[in-house]
Amino acid sequence: MKNWIQVFSVIDFISVGILLTAIAMNALKRIESCIKDYTFNSLLLSLLIAIVAFMVEETHLYIASIVTLLSKGLLIPMFLRKIVRQMKVTHDAEPYISNALSLTISGILVAVVYASLKEGIFVTGFSKNVLQISIAVILIGLFIMITRRKAVTQVIGLLFMENGLFLAGFSLTFGMPTIIELGVLFDMLMGVIILGIFAVQIKRYFASADLDKLTILKG
Amino acid sequence: MITILLIPIITSGLCYMLKNHRLIGYLSLAGAIVLSFFSIPAIMSSISSPVEILNGMLYMDALSGYIMALIVFLGLASATYSIGYLEHELRGGLINITGIRRYYALLHLFIFTMLIVTVSNNLALMWIAIEATTIVSAILIGLGFTKRELAIEAAWKYIILCTVGITFALLGTFIAYYASIAVIGTEGALNWTVLIGIANRLNPSTMKLAFIFVLVGYGTKAGLAPVHNWLPDAHSQAPSPISALLSGILLNTAFYGIMRFVSIVEPSTGSVFTGNLLVIFGIISIGISSIFILVQDNYKRLLAYSSIEHMGIISLGIGIGGPVGIYGALLHVLNHALSKPLMFFASGKIQSHYGSTRIENVNGVLSSIPLLGILTFIGALSLSGTPPFNIFLSEFTILKAGVDKGMWLMVGLFLFFAVIVSYGILSGFGKMLFNSPQSSVQSPQSLTPGLLTANRRLPDLFSNAIMITIAIFIIVLGFTIPDFIDSTIKECIKILGIL
Repeated sequence: MKNWIQVFSVIDFISVGILLTAIAMNALKRIESCIKDYTFNSLLLSLLIAIVAFMVEETHLYIASIVTLLSKGLLIPMFLRKIVRQMKVTHDAEPYISNALSLTISGILVAVVYASLKEGIFVTGFSKNVLQISIAVILIGLFIMITRRKAVTQVIGLLFMENGLFLAGFSLTFGMPTIIELGVLFDMLMGVIILGIFAVQIKRYFASADLDKLTILKG
Repeated sequence: MITILLIPIITSGLCYMLKNHRLIGYLSLAGAIVLSFFSIPAIMSSISSPVEILNGMLYMDALSGYIMALIVFLGLASATYSIGYLEHELRGGLINITGIRRYYALLHLFIFTMLIVTVSNNLALMWIAIEATTIVSAILIGLGFTKRELAIEAAWKYIILCTVGITFALLGTFIAYYASIAVIGTEGALNWTVLIGIANRLNPSTMKLAFIFVLVGYGTKAGLAPVHNWLPDAHSQAPSPISALLSGILLNTAFYGIMRFVSIVEPSTGSVFTGNLLVIFGIISIGISSIFILVQDNYKRLLAYSSIEHMGIISLGIGIGGPVGIYGALLHVLNHALSKPLMFFASGKIQSHYGSTRIENVNGVLSSIPLLGILTFIGALSLSGTPPFNIFLSEFTILKAGVDKGMWLMVGLFLFFAVIVSYGILSGFGKMLFNSPQSSVQSPQSLTPGLLTANRRLPDLFSNAIMITIAIFIIVLGFTIPDFIDSTIKECIKILGIL
């Protein structure tokens, strides 16, 4: 089985899948599909951790995989869907720039990451591509946050960044000790919940879920 | 150490359970007093001999003790001030009893998260705690008060920017972990006490990368320009006792993270790399904030920009390095943590009296409310760096360190911006203090009926007492640095090991 994973470079396939789901965010029009896309991304992340856990036979990686599955693959998407229903937002993600331009810029980001990390200061183990992909996912998440107008899409961008970060940490060091991993996930979960509450409040007070209404404070 | 961490949690739980707003206020005050009683012996003993518990997860030395003492003191000050502040807001119909319960519960939770930052030895645990401070304080800023839509906007900006920023700090922590695994394997590879021992064996280029990410991440949280945009909004929209905590100590807790990282990065990369980065960030912060202070027409925002300036000065002190520079920076941490809360407390009172945060709507504070006026005047003089107040002393120490090292460009820029800042602060607050009160006839005093009669009540007595205490500290620290503070700071310099 282990040979099998290596021969077919399963790990590379999954990490490319993670990158593709992140890039797909640029082309999605409806908020619901963005949430689905995020769920898919988290599931792939969890699967990747599980496979590496199987290969290096580390218990704490299995735990990390299951916790990722439960929190990012299940709880957070459920919560986001609830928020979207509660806010009764229009379903369009309404980016500031066109999808074509957005996709092009994401592509450039990936190219830049690959070019700049070519010298590879890090080679630990299981794949040459994972670190590059994770940095690219972080940047794409950031890019999505900047270019989207809706509060919920910004949160999803942030979540993509966190996924990329987990992947980066994982590729560098085979993950943190379990207790730290749990603490980080807990923080993240609380953060998403608080952001959800604030998103609902913004909708209530500003009568809109668009963040371009939030421009009163400046200078 | 565990007791110290438990007290705020218990206080927070009890505050949430009570139903009477008076009782909650006094309970929270009692909790803060108990916390200070328990923490004093722990802090005293940690200064002479470091303590390590829970398998090296938690650790306390002089630097932790120093920051912890500030957190405990400001927590106490803020709990004292909150009683009168919330009473006033309750009477004005800006908050209800549920809001008050949540406010006090979160206040103590906030203190708890900051305490965790100071005692965590594990760098990732420290990250978790710093992120937790963001989450808790965001609720304190944004929710609970009615008719404050802008606070929601401020809190949204705050949590998004700080979470994104701090994500990079986690990446930096991962990279540092990677570097240390390469040297000693996974056992205790994230513990600061272990890392400081092997710091000169870590891979320099990896540590450089880690430090850049950490500086950007924690720097966002510490309010260093150019990633400071959340700070003026959050600090000006938060309730005044929370602004005092945010500005006085939260920024320093984030900066504490940077200090710990500097001490493990420097042995491998050399002090030029970290020093230059910190000096550049410091100068940019001072420069940008000085311009905004000059044109500011809202006094709470003016104070917020002044926080950016002072964080810049602390960063400068650490960046210049050497015993004198670090001494100045740590002294500045203390001085800023006294002066800024005093000003935020005072501005809270001014705001509730005049019903406005615009400088032009506030006139003649000194003649209409003499005590508040004098306290504000002391705070403003101190913040602007006027001798013989405390901040002058620490700024002068940092300047001296810069001159000793011959960093003339830095010294010149610092002096230039410092002049702008003191003009901005003194002219802003001077207008509020000394303009004749006649022009404030149309100021909405009617918004706060019964304030003068309420002035003699117990809560106001408390808040005045705490402000006077802080003002006395400010004046004393302007003339002399007490021996125990002096020796603590010297101990901290030894711990940081930056020479």
